[in-house]
Amino acid sequence: MKILYKWLKEFVDVTAPAPELGLRLSLAGNAIDSVEEFIAGPVLDAEVTANRPDCLGHYGMAREIAAIYRLPLKALQPKPKESSEKAVDATRVEIDCPELCGRYTARILRGVKVQPSPDWLRQRLEAIGQNSINNVVDVTNYVMFELGQPLHAFDLDKLAERRIIVRRARPGETIHTLDGARRPLAPDMCVIADAARAVAIAGVMGGTESEIGFSSRDILLESAWFDPISVRRTSKALGLRTEASYRFERGADPEMAEMASRRAAELIQQLGGGEILAGVVDVYPRRKPPLVIELARTELLRVMGADVPDRDIEEILGALGFHPVRKDAERGTPDSPAVVWACRQPSWRHDVTREVDLVEEVARHFGYDKFPPRLPPAKQPAHRLPHAGALGLLCERVVALGYQEIVEIPLVDPQRDALFRPEERIPAVISNPLAEDASVMRSSGIVSMLGALEWNLNHGQRNLRLFEIGKTYEINAQGGEPVETPVLTLGATGLAREKTIYEALREFGFADLKGDLDSLGDLAGGLAWQADGPAWLAAGRAARISLAQSAAEKEARALGVAGQLARKIAEQLKLRQDVFVAEVRLDPFLAGIEAARAVRRFAPIPRYPAVERDFSLVLADGVTFAEVDAAIRALGIAELRRVEPADLFRGGQIPAGRFSLMIRVTFQSAETTLTEAQLADFSSRIIAALEQRLGATLRAS
Amino acid sequence: MPPRLKTVPDKWIVEQTLADLGDTTPERVEARFAEVRQRFDEQSAIHSADPETWRTFVVAWTGRKSGVLSLITDHWLKPASPELKRAVGQELNKLKAHIEAVLEQKRIEIEAAAERAAQARERIDLSLPGIERATGTRHLIRQTFEELERIFLAIGFSVVQGPEIESPYYNFEALNIPEHHPARDNMDTFYIEGTRGGRLLRTHTSPMQIRTMEKQPPPVRIIVPGKVYRRDNPDATHGYMFHQIEGLAVDTDITFCDFKGTVEYFVREFLGPKAKTRLRPSYFPFTEPSAEVDATCHVCGGSGCRVCKFSGWIELFGAGMVDPAVYGFVKYDAKKLSGFAFGMGVDRLAMMKYGVSELPLLYQNDVRFLRQFP
Repeated sequence: MKILYKWLKEFVDVTAPAPELGLRLSLAGNAIDSVEEFIAGPVLDAEVTANRPDCLGHYGMAREIAAIYRLPLKALQPKPKESSEKAVDATRVEIDCPELCGRYTARILRGVKVQPSPDWLRQRLEAIGQNSINNVVDVTNYVMFELGQPLHAFDLDKLAERRIIVRRARPGETIHTLDGARRPLAPDMCVIADAARAVAIAGVMGGTESEIGFSSRDILLESAWFDPISVRRTSKALGLRTEASYRFERGADPEMAEMASRRAAELIQQLGGGEILAGVVDVYPRRKPPLVIELARTELLRVMGADVPDRDIEEILGALGFHPVRKDAERGTPDSPAVVWACRQPSWRHDVTREVDLVEEVARHFGYDKFPPRLPPAKQPAHRLPHAGALGLLCERVVALGYQEIVEIPLVDPQRDALFRPEERIPAVISNPLAEDASVMRSSGIVSMLGALEWNLNHGQRNLRLFEIGKTYEINAQGGEPVETPVLTLGATGLAREKTIYEALREFGFADLKGDLDSLGDLAGGLAWQADGPAWLAAGRAARISLAQSAAEKEARALGVAGQLARKIAEQLKLRQDVFVAEVRLDPFLAGIEAARAVRRFAPIPRYPAVERDFSLVLADGVTFAEVDAAIRALGIAELRRVEPADLFRGGQIPAGRFSLMIRVTFQSAETTLTEAQLADFSSRIIAALEQRLGATLRAS
Repeated sequence: MPPRLKTVPDKWIVEQTLADLGDTTPERVEARFAEVRQRFDEQSAIHSADPETWRTFVVAWTGRKSGVLSLITDHWLKPASPELKRAVGQELNKLKAHIEAVLEQKRIEIEAAAERAAQARERIDLSLPGIERATGTRHLIRQTFEELERIFLAIGFSVVQGPEIESPYYNFEALNIPEHHPARDNMDTFYIEGTRGGRLLRTHTSPMQIRTMEKQPPPVRIIVPGKVYRRDNPDATHGYMFHQIEGLAVDTDITFCDFKGTVEYFVREFLGPKAKTRLRPSYFPFTEPSAEVDATCHVCGGSGCRVCKFSGWIELFGAGMVDPAVYGFVKYDAKKLSGFAFGMGVDRLAMMKYGVSELPLLYQNDVRFLRQFP
């Protein structure tokens, strides 16, 4: 809402220059965004909050200023010269729907000369961003910006039977509005009609058929109060926001209707001559007695924590129109804690209905800066999120492994999302998306991760290791309830190590991903890997991972999937490098981390030396390292500490269909140094077991 | 045998006996030793430069078979007359001590020089980079969240989280924003298809105020970090998703002064001890009285610049005393309880503090951006 400084001065004798006035208004709750100079003088741009329709006019803003500077506000006293003929004899007003229209006033002007507005009016309207149309329309606008009351002028000659009916629109009814559109109406909309048809959408916009033009002579001036919710619904349904609807939907002042009409008549007569019929046709079915609200000092203290002197309270509330009256027993005792003021709600302040609303009025005009700050003592210990500790450990480690954290917007492209969504899962679809490619809540973190990798690859960043802590979303098939599942997503592509003067380069591979995940898994006591995975992972390079050390059910142990993105998917997404991804459900993982921490205990450091023995095996293709490991462990050698793969190759002297695996076995006793004889025994038992169980042959090295 | 070095003259005095030389008195003996010593000093100075020559010099003087000291022992001491033996012995010991001291000194110098030379040969080019193991980073938004959590944990605020897919009741109604309330204009909302009760994406983290108060009796002191969604067309400072951190404190004795103190504490912690706070009255349906919290402009320090539109102040977030109507929805006694709430845009705070110019940078996840905040 634009406020013209000179216009304000017609109502309050403020002397502060515009920028200072702007600051004071801001500090009292009427944010002033800027102050600009126009021909008509400085203009303040006020950001009026939704609860203050009374400040959508210069007079209301002047009232705020009067309260701020404790200056008198000039009373409104328009006194147009009326003829002897009465308005009630010239027209009739009926309200069929008092629930939508609480008051309707009609004033009649005759023989008005419709013509362009004079300069002063054009300049004022221009300064507040309004186009000039003609003197009559301009006056209705002018008065709206002056008093906050929207007005409408009808060409009386064009109203069938020269009368007004306020009613609900009829089914199938349409109206041609002033903006040139033909609009379909619905029965929940309130219209202004004449004897024949709707001539305006109540509180929103007039119709062209009764529009004021330069040939108009007789005018019916409407000044009414329409139900805020009805106006808002109608304006939303029609997609038609106007200065009038903006005010009515926030709540106009019903008591202002007649006054504004009088003010407009006065101005029209001044600018276009003619005759004003005596009085006004005023149908006021929803007149309400003013609400009495009490403000007790004890309540002010309870909410604000510091006191405000009697005089300030009374001056502020008085200036704002609340007519505060002290009603305490200790009348005369200044600033008594027992004081209570009885206040009357002004008709323009429907936002103030409770004691706390009065507290705010006093506080904002007294000044928020006058209340002393203090820190409330804490009475309870503060807690982080339940798994915050475990999540911290996890993040610390994943960062140490070289992954950069990303933050994603979970609204994604449904086609992409479908690639990674298990068939049975119901996605959370946005019913009113801004764009098709952001119209579903993601079913998987992978879809966002690939987007981030793609962005970076397209911007010349080829070696990437990213992670995200986020959620996946779905709709529960049984109850239709939304389900949000926290997940950790990893994505990697390009080089694991770049070439330097010290080291050769190395591509990131499945083993890197597995190692990284195992390193994270160590926090939870280790991971179990199972060859298998969704179709979007490359066959043979996909795994399901679960917690290895967990008493939980199989379902609860399952963590997620990891592997190389299937070539088909990579091509579809135009990813031209091998991409490795993993998605892990966070809740079981974090629970696993906490469980592992809870049982972790010190193990004595061995005093006796460990001994390593290497075995070069030739095995048939298809035999896994896990089988070798299991065969050795099955021997139950208590001194066995580790079995590690030391070398693996195919070809050369190794016949086709077989491969060479060198394993390194570590033995250590907690009680003694192992003897050669013991070691020789272990070795021969291992060799025998591998030969028998896996058909291994020992390769001469 | 090393090449003969001219450290000692041929047929020199040490190859003759003292008797041959005619030195029969202790004075003569002393003079003779002085002559040898002088010769040693001259020659040691000459031959010390080159390590190879020096080794030959050392052998010539201290060699067991024909070094000068051995020759003196053989030719001067052993055959000396009983009356001279004592004097010769003493002089010889003095000479030996002198030579040994000089040689030891020299040896230390040579070794030090050799070490210096070796170091010079093996010196590392310090300007070459080391071997850096790639480490990751936390996202700026997460870092900011952690900082905010730290600030509020320290004054007794617990962290809670809630769903992003919310019901209209928690997102609007229970926060005193009925349908058709004009405040909904600023909160254009995404709705989810086919959900019970027309679920939506929460437009703020405030629903957790209600969910928390429903579950727990006062006192309440919580913060709620999380993602929120508004159906706004994205630009440099607006996105249809951003992050908020909600705060709520409710008790029997929380006042506006406590609210103000808490907010001022936050501003100092987050923006530095010099940052000042200003509360401007405002309006939110779920707070009363309400306030916009401003802080002194971080760019100009309050003197006025383009960033703060020459006001010296930057708007940080909205807040206020909890509106009593909200207590009605959670069966709290509005007559006895009071409290405050705030909702901060975390993206905005991070952008402000770290000078990030455009909101989309936070979600593009370009590693060149991520690396800037290790």
